[in-house]
Amino acid sequence: MTWWIPLRSLFRNRRRTLLSVAIIAFGTAISLFVFGFLEDSRLQIQATTVNEYGNLQIASSDLWEDTADGYDYLILPELEAEILALLAEHREITGVTSQLQFPGLIAAGRQTQVVRITAQIPSNKTLNIDDFVIDGRPLQSSDVAAVLMGRSLADRLGLGVDDVVTLTLTTVDGAYNATPLRIVGIYRFTAEQVELRSLFMPQAFAQVLLNTSGVDRIIVNLRSIADTDSATSSIQRQLDDAGLPLEVLTWYELSPFYQQLSGFFDILFGFLTLAVFILVFFIILQVLTLAFLERTREIGTIRALGATRGEVFSQLLVESVWLALFGSLTGVLLGFLMGTVFNAIGIEWRPPGTAEASILSVQINLMTVLPPFGVSIIATLLSAIFPAVQTSRLRVVDALRVE
Amino acid sequence: MEAASQFCHERGLPFLEVRSLTKTYQVGGSTVRALRSVDFSAMQGDFVVINGPSGSGKTTFLNLISAIDRPSDGEVLIEGVSTNDLSDRQLARLRKERIGLIFQTFNLIPVLSASENTEYPLLLQKLPKTERVERVRSMLAEVGLEDLAHRRPNELSGGQRQRIAIARALITRPKLVLADEPTANLDSETGVQVMDLMRRLNQEHCVVFIVVTHDPAVTQYAQRQIRIHDGRLIEDDQP
Repeated sequence: MTWWIPLRSLFRNRRRTLLSVAIIAFGTAISLFVFGFLEDSRLQIQATTVNEYGNLQIASSDLWEDTADGYDYLILPELEAEILALLAEHREITGVTSQLQFPGLIAAGRQTQVVRITAQIPSNKTLNIDDFVIDGRPLQSSDVAAVLMGRSLADRLGLGVDDVVTLTLTTVDGAYNATPLRIVGIYRFTAEQVELRSLFMPQAFAQVLLNTSGVDRIIVNLRSIADTDSATSSIQRQLDDAGLPLEVLTWYELSPFYQQLSGFFDILFGFLTLAVFILVFFIILQVLTLAFLERTREIGTIRALGATRGEVFSQLLVESVWLALFGSLTGVLLGFLMGTVFNAIGIEWRPPGTAEASILSVQINLMTVLPPFGVSIIATLLSAIFPAVQTSRLRVVDALRVE
Repeated sequence: MEAASQFCHERGLPFLEVRSLTKTYQVGGSTVRALRSVDFSAMQGDFVVINGPSGSGKTTFLNLISAIDRPSDGEVLIEGVSTNDLSDRQLARLRKERIGLIFQTFNLIPVLSASENTEYPLLLQKLPKTERVERVRSMLAEVGLEDLAHRRPNELSGGQRQRIAIARALITRPKLVLADEPTANLDSETGVQVMDLMRRLNQEHCVVFIVVTHDPAVTQYAQRQIRIHDGRLIEDDQP
């Protein structure tokens, strides 16, 4: 059958067709808007997580599973060199650094706070806290007894640049150690939890404090976040082949918060999709049933002229394809417009767990457009099947009798 | 014209044959016998007019021989093939290729223009566009509506609509054309024009025309006149 006859038939009752298009468009637009918003939030959280963890981290399984006896999980310089040589083969890697993290207790006046010290190489720009320093200065390789503190913790303890705190820790040998530390800079990070818990210091000084030459993890940054899974499996395979007892974890495996939130967003979007599907399906079912019923005599004529049931069914289905396309495309345009206006307004919001407010925005790209577009198309087509089957199965003689 | 008509009647076997055709309906608890064992045949080029009062079974008879309904008993044979032996799909094919239908209320598709309505059966036959365009142009010229080809049915008069319906019925070059009260919704002058057209096409194309009507004016076009009463064929005036 032709494509243009169903198109003409679709617009014979313009008011009804426009109503159908509006319903499909509304469902698509709302779905697109909410999905775009969730996707934008997910991307922001993704970026924050990667900023905090890097794309990949390589460490002993004992570290990840918390089964080490003391500092047994540390990667000593010989092993670190072996890993770095192995990573050098990967073109998708844009940066590699090592870190040494350990717990400690800081005291400032009468206040104490359990913290996590992250010791980094100041000259290495991979996953470097320098970009987040808002007061004072970044760390330098020559720094001794210097530390960067998060603004939230500094505010809580009433500290600022050049103030001194005392850090108490346990060395790799199990001995207690304590040292004064000067706050050389205050940093601001998107995740409030990081600001409250993490202090940063030069790696060389941290190794002296802990009495080790090792690090606890190698951090890898990738050219694209999309390379995460392929790079992980490739590096893990190489480590295994080399017989190194190490495990690669991805940024999303390292962040339970991201996984929970991502799962929650998926559920939210699932419910939204279901709601839009039900709305579009039942309303369009009603509209098309009525529209096809009104044309019973015409369908009878077409059948009398020699059209088979299949041909009548195809013609009615093509009508709904047009309807679905018009409605969904209008919905995409409407959703795009709503998103653009929303982004232009620039509403500020501070999500739970973040240190500062961010601008709410809606992502509108092919990946956010396709799911709502597809759902509306499928809902419309499915809603057309039942009335189209019913209408095409009418007995010709009965259909022709209908006034 | 007469020569063509004469040639049509020289064929040996009937094009259409009806044997003991019976149709019953269940209405409420009772059985209504719309047709009672009707026998009939038509040769190539026949122009048959069927008369009868309302409810006599004329339209039922037409529905059965046009293969849009199935008989309760008896059979309809078109070119020797019983419609009882055909599947729904085969019946659709028979209607598409062999039968042209003209309805009392024209039954044109409102969203299509005059030429598109005429073209529609050719679309069902999946003919190439060039052939469709040529046949539509020629057929519209034959029914005298070339100039109104782009008008929609609601922009045409009753007579013009019926001419389009006739063009649509003949565009596939069927061997049998069935018309149900073709003049019922037309004024008398337009009715005469439409009947003249049908008679001319019958003679020129050797097509069997079976016309069901109440209209006495139509009867004068009959080559054969049949009367149906109470579901029985009671008269068959052959020339």
